[in-house]
Amino acid sequence: MENKKVVLSIQDMNIKFSLRGQILHAIRGVSLDIYEGECLAIVGESGSGKSVLTKTCMGLLDKNGFIESGHIMYDGKDLATYKTDKEWEKICGSEIAMVMQDPMTCLNPLKTIGWQIEESLRYHSTLNKEERKKRVIEILTDVGITEPERRYKQYPHEFSGGMRQRVAIAIAVACNPKILICDEPTTALDVTIQAQILELIRNMQKKYNLTTVYITHDLGVVANVADRVAVMYAGDIIEVGTSREIFYEPKHPYTWALLASLPQLGIKGEELSSIHGTPPNLFLPVKGDAFAPRNPYALAVDFEYRPPYFEVSPTHKAKTWLLDPRAPKIEPPKVLEMIKNMERVGGVLNG
Amino acid sequence: MLKYCAKRLARSVVSLAIIVAVVFSLLRLMPVEGYFSQLDQMTEAQINNELEKMGLNDPVPVQLGRFYVQILHGDLGKSTRYRDGYPVAKIVKKKAPISIKFGLLAMGVSLPLGMLLGILMAKKKNGIADKLGTLYIILIQAVPSAVYYLLIQLYGTSALKIGLLYDDDKPITMILPILSLALPSIAGYAMWLRRYMVDEENKDYIKMAKAKGVPKAKIARQHVFRNAVVPMVQFIPGSMLLTIAGSIYVESLYSIPGMGGLLVEVIKRQDNNMVQGLVIIFAVLGIFGLLLGDLLMALVDPRISLTKKEGSR
Repeated sequence: MENKKVVLSIQDMNIKFSLRGQILHAIRGVSLDIYEGECLAIVGESGSGKSVLTKTCMGLLDKNGFIESGHIMYDGKDLATYKTDKEWEKICGSEIAMVMQDPMTCLNPLKTIGWQIEESLRYHSTLNKEERKKRVIEILTDVGITEPERRYKQYPHEFSGGMRQRVAIAIAVACNPKILICDEPTTALDVTIQAQILELIRNMQKKYNLTTVYITHDLGVVANVADRVAVMYAGDIIEVGTSREIFYEPKHPYTWALLASLPQLGIKGEELSSIHGTPPNLFLPVKGDAFAPRNPYALAVDFEYRPPYFEVSPTHKAKTWLLDPRAPKIEPPKVLEMIKNMERVGGVLNG
Repeated sequence: MLKYCAKRLARSVVSLAIIVAVVFSLLRLMPVEGYFSQLDQMTEAQINNELEKMGLNDPVPVQLGRFYVQILHGDLGKSTRYRDGYPVAKIVKKKAPISIKFGLLAMGVSLPLGMLLGILMAKKKNGIADKLGTLYIILIQAVPSAVYYLLIQLYGTSALKIGLLYDDDKPITMILPILSLALPSIAGYAMWLRRYMVDEENKDYIKMAKAKGVPKAKIARQHVFRNAVVPMVQFIPGSMLLTIAGSIYVESLYSIPGMGGLLVEVIKRQDNNMVQGLVIIFAVLGIFGLLLGDLLMALVDPRISLTKKEGSR
């Protein structure tokens, strides 16, 4: 993995929001490299900044949000300096595309789905009208929609949720983007459909040579699809590594807690493991390790100084003082051992 | 499509029949003097004789049946106390075009202007245009219309150097009444369009369009505006048809011989046939407007199925 080409590099990103006169520090110095052709999953609880981070890469930050410092290097350009819609229009859709969370609301109800897929081609390709239509039918077939000729003329309300998500994926891949961001692509779907959609995204990734970034809080999805995992907490990536490393050898107490709260690890009759407390208030400056107040393994230093990245392996690093040579040796919770034996999570990783 | 229209039409006809029955029955409860222009000079026997002649002594269902047949022939009866012996339809025929002319012209002015204002306000939400527009809307809604109608008449006529009243031969005298009628509707259209557009801006599919890299101007036109117009088209036919009712205040201010205030007038004078006729005309137009609005809505919104059963929305 380390020899691979970096397609998108987020460097020391700080993003803030001004809300009712207060400043919310949503992303606190995140650096992340995304490699060509990989499938990266960004996991974290609600409000940890996963969506904000990826939206920033497409210029979709809400109006009250702004990049305070940092770079987003893509193809030799720094996207963080992009200000106008004109600049972003060239990136969005054609270079970086997105599949949104809720397929029920992400399609315009008044336009045919053919029109909506064609729309991005209209602005990003030189194809003429017939060629575009041909291409749309082709993509519809690719995403597994039967009778594409008939479906082309139909409206979103004539599609089921899973079908709409297929259409959304078709829209995303229409212009051959390099990077596909999937913002919780299965959250709004029926469990029976979820696997199909993940499979479809994986096929599209192969077929179109995509680099995919998943944003999710469903660790099951992560285990299914991701080559690499970045764990976010309170606007920072606190641990990043290959899926294997994150699932089998997690180092950060937050990652431990996150994995331990997998419902599959629960024992019948016993209370499910959960993380107590709430994430820190990002309106206030965070002192030390943001997770320290909720961390049963917190050291005194955690409350004082923010930990740097400690490298575990060339692909694995975590921000926790526990990895400091001077720290006491603390074993991860026993329950995490079970992950290796789990079929749903572990089995896929091995395969 | 045809089936849908037919169903809607049938339902409208039924509603109308019910309205006619209600209006007719209610008016039968009114004192009989509403049928005579000079009641005080008539004897009891004469009155009874006349009532008998008009068939008003028959049981109400019989009268109602007769009335249905009558209105199907376009006969709304004759005015008595308002203009003795004149057919109601004839009076309306004379007055309505004037009100419609003013109403439609005012709408022709206010619809584009109101929409434009709404778009401007929505485009730069919380910007200067939005704040000024909001101020305008609040002023229009808070200040009684009588106040600015009078001001418009007062200053407008002196600015245009014309007389205070409407003159059939001078088209320029139409400007001020139309302006008066348009001002509040501009505010109305702007307010609704702005609201619908702001609603649309926050929809997921707008974000999706941005993520697709669609130019901003195209998003504004093809997604935001297009979708915001849908809820507005529904009431446009209705408001067009109901311009026939005219505006009491504007018409009396400029002494325009339109329909404005006619209903109030005939109620005051207890001209039963006129009241009945006017209420039924307004009801027909109101229902027809709703029907047209529904059909128009079905044309612009594919979610309203034309083949499925009605009420699917």
